[in-house]
Amino acid sequence: MASRQDPHGPHDPDLQAEVMVPSAVDDIDDSSYVSGLPGFLGVIDVGIARIEAFLLAVGVLLMAANTMANVIGRYVFGQSLFFSEEVNQALIILITFAGISYAARHGRHIRMSAIFDAVPPAVRKPLMILIALVTAAAMFLLTWYSLDYVMTQASRGRLLPALQIPVWWIIVWAPLGFFLTGLQYTLTAIKNLIHKNIWLSTSTLEGYDNEREEEV
Amino acid sequence: MSTMIFGTMIVLLLLGFPMMIPLLAGSLIGFVMIFGGIDQLGTMVQQILGGIRPASLIAVPMFIFAADIMTRGQSASRLIDLVMAFVGHLKGGLAVSTAAACTLFGAVSGSTQATVVAVGGPLRPRMLNAGYKDNFVLALIVNASDIAFLIPPSIGMIIYGVVSGTSIAELFIAGIGPGLLILVLFSIYSYIYAVRHNVPTEPKSTWGDRGRAVQRALWPLGFPVIIVGGIYGGIFSPTEAAAACVLYALILEMVVFREMNVKQLYATAKSTGLITAVVFILVGAGAAFSYVISFAQIPQEVLGAIGIDQMGPYGVLATISIAFFIGCMFVDPIVVILIFVPIFAPVVDAVGLDPVHVGIIITLQVAIGSATPPFGCDIFTAIAVFRRPYWEVIKGTPPFILILLCVSVALILFPQIALFLRDLAFAK
Amino acid sequence: DTWRYAFEEAMDEVQGVFAQKFKEEIEANSDHEIQLFPFGTLGESADVMEQAQSGILQFVDQSPGFTGALIPEAQVFFVPYLLPQDEDQLASFFENSVAINELFPPLYEEQGLKLLTMFPEGEVMMTTQEPVTSPEDLNEVKFRVMTNPLLVGSYQAFGATPTPLPWGEVYGALQTGIIQGQENPAFFIESTKMYEVTDHITRTGHNNFTTAVMANLDFYEGLSEEDKTLVQDAIDVAFDHIIEYQKGLTEESLAKIKEAKPSITITTLTEEQRQPFMDTADEVEAEFLEIGGDQAEEILNQLKEDLEAASGES
Ligand code: NA
Ligand code: NA
Repeated sequence: MASRQDPHGPHDPDLQAEVMVPSAVDDIDDSSYVSGLPGFLGVIDVGIARIEAFLLAVGVLLMAANTMANVIGRYVFGQSLFFSEEVNQALIILITFAGISYAARHGRHIRMSAIFDAVPPAVRKPLMILIALVTAAAMFLLTWYSLDYVMTQASRGRLLPALQIPVWWIIVWAPLGFFLTGLQYTLTAIKNLIHKNIWLSTSTLEGYDNEREEEV
Repeated sequence: MSTMIFGTMIVLLLLGFPMMIPLLAGSLIGFVMIFGGIDQLGTMVQQILGGIRPASLIAVPMFIFAADIMTRGQSASRLIDLVMAFVGHLKGGLAVSTAAACTLFGAVSGSTQATVVAVGGPLRPRMLNAGYKDNFVLALIVNASDIAFLIPPSIGMIIYGVVSGTSIAELFIAGIGPGLLILVLFSIYSYIYAVRHNVPTEPKSTWGDRGRAVQRALWPLGFPVIIVGGIYGGIFSPTEAAAACVLYALILEMVVFREMNVKQLYATAKSTGLITAVVFILVGAGAAFSYVISFAQIPQEVLGAIGIDQMGPYGVLATISIAFFIGCMFVDPIVVILIFVPIFAPVVDAVGLDPVHVGIIITLQVAIGSATPPFGCDIFTAIAVFRRPYWEVIKGTPPFILILLCVSVALILFPQIALFLRDLAFAK
Repeated sequence: DTWRYAFEEAMDEVQGVFAQKFKEEIEANSDHEIQLFPFGTLGESADVMEQAQSGILQFVDQSPGFTGALIPEAQVFFVPYLLPQDEDQLASFFENSVAINELFPPLYEEQGLKLLTMFPEGEVMMTTQEPVTSPEDLNEVKFRVMTNPLLVGSYQAFGATPTPLPWGEVYGALQTGIIQGQENPAFFIESTKMYEVTDHITRTGHNNFTTAVMANLDFYEGLSEEDKTLVQDAIDVAFDHIIEYQKGLTEESLAKIKEAKPSITITTLTEEQRQPFMDTADEVEAEFLEIGGDQAEEILNQLKEDLEAASGES
């Protein structure tokens, strides 16, 4: 986010353009990510984080390419790619479930923190542990039932009408995403138990610190 | 049952749980109470997946992506410079331009969420620079995006038209009046805000500066051409226009302006994916929650209890407004329309209301609901995109909500606000 | 008990009328109560079907075309010019067809569903921006069809450019011109206002929209003999009702459309004009045999026999 630089200054358009270029603070640097897990498990976890990031980026790029390909197909070749919609469905599911775990790692899930922020730290810490544990439990519950749902789909043999591939292929990400998210929240609870401070995720301290703009 | 569900959701929300948890808890309790156990949770997963899958939602990540590329590169700032060259010297000029941009973009894209991102993304930093307070800026963006529902094309009106058997063409035309009225009122409020908070203006640009700004913005002016021309011209669906914007933005920033390299592209795509996921899991959880409300026939229960069939036309319209307003605070607007319209249809018929008038009132409430706490989807989107706390995003909304409520009342009392254009166009 | 019944249309469209009659019959003759869930209130077609399979819903109405992903044979109803074009023949066809009454039920049972009945919902018509009298007129026309290989194949064979679009976007796309045509039964064209954004309705007689009512199999088999009879009787009454209801419905819907938009043209193609469309059917039949599952051939042949029997009767 652009910082507020001298709002009353002269307005040279070129300078303005420079000010507007968002700083990279918002982007998550995967190379500096530290896992909440120790030792070898931590190495695997960092690997998973990299894969999640990769799936997010590639998912979005493929979605743009796929949507454009459909337009080009329709106008240039007079052929709609009638599987295009299903490919996008597959991608949005992939993005969502790779993303919820990635968001949990980096404390990016949306929450309403007004009251939470107002209570004293002594209450905030146990509350954060409770939140992390309950969230983890909910994620594991959904892991189980989404696995169950995927298996049911597989057993019924439902096919995607255009692609003619089994539906369950595109939804396997759901149990995986829920599980990894549950794992992240479990680690967050543990991190809060054994470390000082209040942690939103294993790698993020609470607060919108790095870019909190002062209230005027 | 309803008390328990809504109570739990509010408590979890206020305690600071990730927002997906209150929504998931609402449906979890519902499933357990309806089916006496957790055996049917597979269906809850089905609804979550069903909620994120609709093809028309793909426009949202695509517009997020395009807007992110434009903002990181030069396209967005060149476009805004152009606007500023013409309105920068006017009190509240930038705020009014933002409201107008939301209206235009929202009208065409039909998506309030995409509007929050595509217009808010580039314009918010500039408004902050210009001296507007963030809570005003966020509230303006979130609420001005409502107009997306009222000006055609509008998915909400199409669904209403189909369910109620009302002419969609008439609905489309009737939405324009209230949509523009809201824009005018928001503009007036923005002007008053700028005066009261003494937001500084820039010196008036010379025609030479303006010419230079136009020249600099020539390439980026392709975006409005793609979006407005592409969609109204019948070349693209809104989703495709979004993807075309992505492609165009990439060409501009990577080839023409050379502002972005492959590494930055990767980072942008990743950030888009992250925002998408955080918003879409809420859309999915919201769909599961809608299912419970629909399945347990809670609206029928509640509405049956208040005796709507005893009311006169104004009573009916007021009840409809309130019901849709409250419904959309918690549940996906489309689902609210699908469930509520058939319930109200007989009463609307009985008191002899114009279904087009009713449809516009409903569309307005749906739009307001999408920007209203606790679970309005535009609020989620704003939080995810701008990375501001929930409270800050909603803090500035009361004046806007008040304006929208005034428009609602005016629309009930003076149907001509909506029907004037319709009657003109269809010679009624 | 409370039984739940979901269908794919609004309350006052054909499936809704059937469901309401069914509900009325059940509630008049027993202590059971039926809750109706119209289009969209419990998710999309595929979702609702799964809910019926897992027993959350007791009854579901779904068009075989949508069931195709689950029961490939059901897509046979998308093969053009297979069903009788005459209304009386059609009713007797559905009542007496061996394929529908004997071959299909076991296929549905494999998916945990008891097939209660199938019924027609009306002749499918094209609505387009330009008049259509021959396949040449569809050349390059971007035509919205449901995402089903056979429908896509049919319109490809007709010479159009089949374009998949989510239902919510069809109206807007016709208005702006992204697509120039779509197909549906007359009552649906009327209720969804498709005529507002197209100028020509063409009756090519290539299909009649078909739908099927099913119960969850475990639920149905767990019913007492008395309740089974109750359900069957209610289905029979609703079937007769819907056939009666539909007599003249197409003409009525078309009249309403004409009244709302006098400039619209409604053209019924002659036999000669239909012939080139009919000639493309073989291609689609071949495709059905390829993707229609193990019993595709048996079902197709039986349906053709049933068709002959039905045309002999009237
Ligand atoms: Na719109
Ligand atoms: Na909004």
